[in-house]
Amino acid sequence: MATTELQRHGVVGNDRPRTKGKPLSVGRIALYLTLTVVSLLMVAPFVWMVLTSLKTPVEIASQDAGLLPEHWEFGNYVDALKAAPFATYARNSFIIAFSHTVINVLVASMAGYALARIRFRGSEVIFYAFIAALMIPTYTKVLPEFLIVRFMPLAGGNDIFGQGGSGWLDSWWALIIPGAVTPFAVFLFRQFYLDLPVELEEAARLDGLGEFRIYARIMTPQVKPALTTVALLTFESSWNNFLWPLLVTRTDSLRVIQVGLSVFKTENGPQWHFLMAGTTLATLPMVVLFLIGQRYFVQGFATAGLK
Amino acid sequence: MELKRRSLLAAIGAGTAAAALSACGTGTSTAGSADGPAEGEITLLTPIYEGADGKTLLEKEILGGFRKKYPDVKVNVDYTTYDQLNEKITTGLAGGLLPDVLMMGVGWIPPFAAKKAIAELPEKFATAHDYEKRVLEPSRYDGKLYALPVVLDTRIVVYRKDHFAEAGIKKTPANWAELRAVAKQLTKDGRIGFDPFSINLRQCWETFLFANGGQLFSEDGKKVLFTDARGVEALQFFKDLIKDGSAVYAKKTDTGAPTNVQTGKASMMMTTSALWRQVGEQTPDLIKDDKLGAFILANRKPAMLQGGTLVTQSASSKHPAAARALVEYLATPESILGAAKQRGSVPGLKDLSDSSYVKENKFVDLSLQSMGHACSEGGTAAWMEIREKIKPTLEPAIVGNQSAKDAIAELGRLAEAAIGRM
Repeated sequence: MATTELQRHGVVGNDRPRTKGKPLSVGRIALYLTLTVVSLLMVAPFVWMVLTSLKTPVEIASQDAGLLPEHWEFGNYVDALKAAPFATYARNSFIIAFSHTVINVLVASMAGYALARIRFRGSEVIFYAFIAALMIPTYTKVLPEFLIVRFMPLAGGNDIFGQGGSGWLDSWWALIIPGAVTPFAVFLFRQFYLDLPVELEEAARLDGLGEFRIYARIMTPQVKPALTTVALLTFESSWNNFLWPLLVTRTDSLRVIQVGLSVFKTENGPQWHFLMAGTTLATLPMVVLFLIGQRYFVQGFATAGLK
Repeated sequence: MELKRRSLLAAIGAGTAAAALSACGTGTSTAGSADGPAEGEITLLTPIYEGADGKTLLEKEILGGFRKKYPDVKVNVDYTTYDQLNEKITTGLAGGLLPDVLMMGVGWIPPFAAKKAIAELPEKFATAHDYEKRVLEPSRYDGKLYALPVVLDTRIVVYRKDHFAEAGIKKTPANWAELRAVAKQLTKDGRIGFDPFSINLRQCWETFLFANGGQLFSEDGKKVLFTDARGVEALQFFKDLIKDGSAVYAKKTDTGAPTNVQTGKASMMMTTSALWRQVGEQTPDLIKDDKLGAFILANRKPAMLQGGTLVTQSASSKHPAAARALVEYLATPESILGAAKQRGSVPGLKDLSDSSYVKENKFVDLSLQSMGHACSEGGTAAWMEIREKIKPTLEPAIVGNQSAKDAIAELGRLAEAAIGRM
């Protein structure tokens, strides 16, 4: 009840004054113009990608070709889809990205909450360890992670010492478990939980809530922007991951969409029309996700001070 | 020095792979005998046979024939790209799970043979088909055969016949002095006379080094030889072309994009034999109107860099007889011709020089006729590390003020250090 009161009085509210009907100032017009130009610059590569996906190789190579295709080659999409089992790749990418998102949001928010709100010995050290982990370049982790996956005890025919089989290689475990929880997400959640008023937590304790319910019922609903930001960033980076899935899989049935797209990047150069068609299809889920969650996404970035 | 992810991984991989091979036991070190019956389930790692066409060619045609001949062998194909091939092999090696059959580039055999990652092949494979002697050189390490060539990609000079005719030039340059003069003559109205930079700078400089009579390493791969005057002159030649205005580094085109010769923005360029196929797809009129010619770069001697893809066998395969059978099969004339056609590459067998594919592809035809001038990169066990350093070390001399002598000396020091670590 005390908690409800606090929430009702908008301790964490973000009501903004309405500006409806107010004439636009010169500064605001200039801002809108600048933002429009920047938006056009940002969207240009995507427009180029879609238009290129509808051109023939000869037209792409031609110096005289205009921006719009002379002949709209929608067949490029059909041919690109025939080149590899993209439905399987897309399904795999979705399963991995979704699993990473759920695991990361769940585990990292718990870790972030613990680091921000629970005082225990060594919490500072653990937090600094997460900060340090943020600074490790991805490529230096690839080989150690590969060896951990390869020598995973009692998996893939391995004995207790990790010998004799192939461990988690060429399995969903290898695709999902390593990298499922990121130190960045833990850091982000910790910052958000730190900003929440201590009164909210104390009121919840007065109401007799335990630690987990305070985390799940009281505090976490207040950090929705962080949840959305972490979810979208995790889904996006997981969807776009290329090297790790390529290294740990051998069979087509476990390959992901980014690896699938590499069939169009031959040693003698990319097959641009197919590559752009495939990339357009691969980008669609990301665009849709962003459109759905853009309000929280921007809010999350703004609150966390991220770029 | 630029720290690239691949060199970083290669450096970590070199140490970890060695440790893994020596200490882990890995569970796959119990390689059987290659003399037994060809049977079992094996994996093929390949950076070629790309796209839907390549997959159909490999899995239906080539492996279809292989299955008929060896019904007890099941082949699983692991496709990768050349950009990630080293990472795949390095991690596989470190984890003790190297694929049974591997395809790799020219220059890659000594590093992996020195690590005992790949198995020696019987010498009879070298005489099974009509190979040019030079074609098999990159397949050897320490005098022993470790691989067989599948496809070759050569570096040649392609020129616009119409530009030459317009300028009244009747013959192709026979040495660098002529090349420089012709390039200067052809440079006009925003067009550059020569584009040496639209292929990998490493391979381009190597071609010039070999044409200048130079060498990369000593026979045993332990001594750096490119630091002499011939290596410096090769790099200096690029600087001279830039000084003349007949070559512009910023005008280089990306792989797969229409080249400067195709678009008429350059009259000559260093390129690969695969350009014929690209021209056929992008600017077919140039072939129809007979506007493209090609020649072999020459100075002190003619030299054509021979790259390509070789097939080799893992030393730790549990089914060595099956793996060896697949290596042999992938290098048969039928398999080679199919792969060459699909990629626009050179089939490295004299037997195939009269095939319709070779006769129709002028760049491939020239390459096959010029195999006597072929030179290959690599030749040292430290090549995987050195190859990553050539371009970033030489580039400052071309785009900046560093002298050719200093850049080559720096590259020499890096190469010696890499060899010293072996």
